[in-house]
Amino acid sequence: MPDRRMFWRIIRGLLGANRGRLFVILLALGAGAAVTAALLNLQVDAKRRLTTEFRSLGANVIIAARNANPGEPSTLSDELLQEIPSTVEGQRVSATAFLYFLGGMSHSSTPKDSTAVVVAGKSPATCTVGARLAAQMGFHVQDEVWVENQNRKESCHVTAIDSTGGAEDDQISIPLDAGQRLANQPGRISLIQLSVPGTPTAINNYISVLQQKFPDADVRPIRQFTEAEAKIYNRISGLLTATVAVVLVLTALCVMAAMTNVAMERKNDVGLMKAIGGATRRVLRLFLAEAALLGLAGGILGATAGILLSIWLGKAVFGVAARPRLIVYPVSVALTILVAIAGAYPLRRLASIRPASIFRGEA
Amino acid sequence: MFLRLVTDSFRRRPRHKLLTGAALALGMAVATAALSVSLDVGDRLAGEFRALGANLLVTPQADSLPLEIGGVDYRPVNAGVYLPESDLPKLKTIFWHNNIIGFAPILEFTMGLYRGSPETHPKYTGQIDANSEVSVIGTWGEHSVRTPDGATFITGVEKTNPWWHVQGRWFSENAKECVVGQQLAKRQGLKVGDTISLRGQEIAPKSTTVIDDEGLRISIRGNAFFVVQGLVSTGGPEENAVLIPLEAAQQLAGKLGQYRQLYVSAVTKPEDDFGRRDPATMKPDELERWSCSPYVSSIAYSIKQVLPGADVRVIRRVAEGEGRVLTRVRTLLWLVTFAALLAAALAVGASSAASVIERRTEIGLMKALGAGSGMVGSLLAAEQLLLAVVGGGVGYAVGILLARLVGEKIFGAAPQPSLLVLLVIVGLAAVVTLLGSALPLRRASRYEPAPILRGE
Repeated sequence: MPDRRMFWRIIRGLLGANRGRLFVILLALGAGAAVTAALLNLQVDAKRRLTTEFRSLGANVIIAARNANPGEPSTLSDELLQEIPSTVEGQRVSATAFLYFLGGMSHSSTPKDSTAVVVAGKSPATCTVGARLAAQMGFHVQDEVWVENQNRKESCHVTAIDSTGGAEDDQISIPLDAGQRLANQPGRISLIQLSVPGTPTAINNYISVLQQKFPDADVRPIRQFTEAEAKIYNRISGLLTATVAVVLVLTALCVMAAMTNVAMERKNDVGLMKAIGGATRRVLRLFLAEAALLGLAGGILGATAGILLSIWLGKAVFGVAARPRLIVYPVSVALTILVAIAGAYPLRRLASIRPASIFRGEA
Repeated sequence: MFLRLVTDSFRRRPRHKLLTGAALALGMAVATAALSVSLDVGDRLAGEFRALGANLLVTPQADSLPLEIGGVDYRPVNAGVYLPESDLPKLKTIFWHNNIIGFAPILEFTMGLYRGSPETHPKYTGQIDANSEVSVIGTWGEHSVRTPDGATFITGVEKTNPWWHVQGRWFSENAKECVVGQQLAKRQGLKVGDTISLRGQEIAPKSTTVIDDEGLRISIRGNAFFVVQGLVSTGGPEENAVLIPLEAAQQLAGKLGQYRQLYVSAVTKPEDDFGRRDPATMKPDELERWSCSPYVSSIAYSIKQVLPGADVRVIRRVAEGEGRVLTRVRTLLWLVTFAALLAAALAVGASSAASVIERRTEIGLMKALGAGSGMVGSLLAAEQLLLAVVGGGVGYAVGILLARLVGEKIFGAAPQPSLLVLLVIVGLAAVVTLLGSALPLRRASRYEPAPILRGE
């Protein structure tokens, strides 16, 4: 159809007529698309990362024996450890089991004086001495430490000195099986600490799953961390969403204003087309098609740059590259096209323009 | 003449100038909003993290090793060392006193729990938990501390442990009131309004706990009954304890004016490599810089200096987790700001480039009339600068409004407008518009006037 061929030829002509202008438009649209793509991609990823980051706070869920009689420490079977669901929403849950008891601790197997301490049998196995305990008793890394309880003895080599600022500073932790032998409680544990990643809702769901699964045990969140995490998470994700929304809206407006500015100078072209008999609708369609094409090109270029940018940003912030999300790509390209068309839309007003007055250089 | 040309250009094409100005203002609004939010948010976020509770723990330096399992301390109450309560107001005199948002002393021991007051049960027949004792925690619920400079400071576990929820209300300091852990209350059927009494036993079964004579004597004197005012849920061992005012606990334990542990919650700066260094190995100027940054360790150091005999430990789990997340979030916000600035700059630059390109005819005319390239350039630059200042100013105002909206919605407090941001924004607007117009201007200066005027 010759009419269509003419249409595209005019568009090619419009685009190619002024390289500088083309570059400027692509720059504005591309910048907008890049920021849109980068922020959208980063936003999804950052929220997920944040919940992982919270795990540096340590355990947030505890499974303990239901305490029938509070002065007496009660225990759980260590088979529970195998039954804990090991992932939540694809992220790994790490579990640590403890068996606490009072024991004597000393430097040699035949001590003249052993100190009464809290011993934690721990799985995964460790042999660590709390910082305050180590300072008081003169233990260093590599030293051999003997723990005894009612004439049963176990020893291990200290691998690290623990400094946590908490109760662990005054405790010694030894491998769980050694602890079970010492306390004469084979197959028993005092509690399990779980570090559950995920959003506050996911953590709550996980807790209720555990509660149903282990009706005999006391499954509870460590409220200090779960509550604070939920609060901080909501604040930060709200902040991120708000900032991103504000930036996106303003960027769109800003690009639109720049586009409108460019569109306004097409008055001469519009005037000429109308003068040689172009119908207003056809002329408008021409310019909107041009804008859409520019939006597509700017969007594709910009979104590619933006996704690369977000990968780099993710690496800079969280040390792990943000995973590019394919949905972000069409969304930001579509948004860019919309913005480009909206920016060209003021040309509609040029429909009322009389070609003659334009050529005279008026208005 | 120069000024006339500039004003004339604005008067002749108001809509064009308005559009360029609008693009500029919007771009600068993005920049302002993003900048003020990330400038302001750091401190506010650090405050948010105090929802994690205390990040410093003060214990007596010469204390014996605690033998605590599941919230029950197996040490006799008279073993170990205590710290004087009278030193506590000094916490608000340290250099970082404004960063300390709360502290709560703890005195903990075990006692027998009885239902009813000594008056109604003279022989204490109503003992609950026949074979064991419950742990009794003396602390501040909400306590006002008179600081040495005459001000009062409200603090207590409400501040240091914000995740503790009391159903009912906290005990009043001077009344015989207590708060009971939810699990204990549920197990024993205790409700708000019940009366309980606490009594030490000479020999506690199955443990080494011994309450000293004085504690026993005082409880027999009948001072140790309390009305339950609230049930506390904490998610921790406190749910099996009785919480009473610190002063009452001191009397029961015979440790007047003393406490055993102090939890301090302070707003800190995330520790970096410098913050983690040992102050003992620093040179004087380094030490000064270190103590002038609110690192958790430097706050611990200054607390230690006002509380003699105390050992101030950083609760690593809280402090480090907090520092890590905080650093990440701040970096993230800065990068978002940076991206926003970049986008705004590109769009504004493009817009000013467009406004120069479309004026080729005008430039051609001016040159045909004998204007030099420098003259044309400075004329256009002056126009762009004028636009930048006006657009930047308007954008700043819009951006501040937006930042205020975001700040209020999320933190309940608006960020303070800062002069620095205004300067940065106007400066940025000027640089970006000049850079944006520089490229087309350079090309424009090479134009031969004749072909342009012919419309080629």
